[in-house]
Amino acid sequence: MPGWQALHNEIESLGATVVTVALDIDPALAKPWNDLVNPTHPSLVDTLHITNSLFGFTNIPMAAWIDEDGVLVRPAEGASIERSPLRDMEIPEGLPEQLNKMMHAVKAIPDDAEAYREAILDWVRNGSSSQFALTPDEVIARSQPRSDNEARATACFELGEYFHRQNNSDAAVQWWKEAHRLHPQNLTYKRQAWTLVTTPVGATEYDLMQGPNEVYDSNLVDEVTGDGGFGQFIIRPIL
Amino acid sequence: MILTELRATADEFARATDWQPKPEGLCRGEVCVPAPGALSPDGMIDVAIAAQRLGMPLVHDTDHGVWALGSATLSGKSLSTAVAADPELKTFNGDSFKLSSLRGKKVILVAWSSY
Repeated sequence: MPGWQALHNEIESLGATVVTVALDIDPALAKPWNDLVNPTHPSLVDTLHITNSLFGFTNIPMAAWIDEDGVLVRPAEGASIERSPLRDMEIPEGLPEQLNKMMHAVKAIPDDAEAYREAILDWVRNGSSSQFALTPDEVIARSQPRSDNEARATACFELGEYFHRQNNSDAAVQWWKEAHRLHPQNLTYKRQAWTLVTTPVGATEYDLMQGPNEVYDSNLVDEVTGDGGFGQFIIRPIL
Repeated sequence: MILTELRATADEFARATDWQPKPEGLCRGEVCVPAPGALSPDGMIDVAIAAQRLGMPLVHDTDHGVWALGSATLSGKSLSTAVAADPELKTFNGDSFKLSSLRGKKVILVAWSSY
């Protein structure tokens, strides 16, 4: 968030704005992070994850670019704009095994931050003549595949959200498991569900990483410390 | 879109799916899909017909009597048009916000989360 606010400050006078949208079923969990930045750009909440189905967000951070006429010039894609300090940090000796694995997984995340940030600035300055602005046909072609399973997952996730609000946890979990099965590459569907069973309250370091739990068969630690790492969930921008 | 019956007002359907009923059919941006029978004279959408036309899966929870409508699969891609969707989102203060209010500006729409 601080990086996006800084970018907003840089591009606002050029007729552009950052809009952040938190994919959080409970805005109260996102609000403290939002308030830390005190954003001056539009800062929104998507409790239904409707932007997953309408824009194609499947992970965070991801971004889509929209021109002055409301037309997408880049579809949803991985959108880091600053290099994480974790990437350059020495991993201390003696960490718990899972934390150690997680640190290595984070360091292995593909780093497109500098190039992506420069691409945004180029588009802001040059508009449709920017080499990074795509035609409508290219935008559609580069958007992510959506099979019947993936479309069905959006419905299952929404049923889970509906039952979660009804305090019917059993039904919510059943539908979220089905969403995970149908669209395994959608990490926000998974992390949103996992985070509700591994809250920071009384957590160990494993809980904070959305580690093994008694509700779901999968968890963040196991998924990203395996062969595919975080990279399996990242839609890298083609720049 | 959560439903307790397979009917919705045209406004409800458009708000949830961003597909607008027009004389040509159900439309988003420049894409219109003929959907005979989907719009009743009373302005109600037959969601089963609309879903079939737009390639939207309808998932039924039989135990609780509710349906959820999945996203469109017309193009086999997450986008069937480059015209940006305009869902009604909320600010952290609970105010409604539409991306269309930013017409005339370039927008970088960024997804993040607390988790």
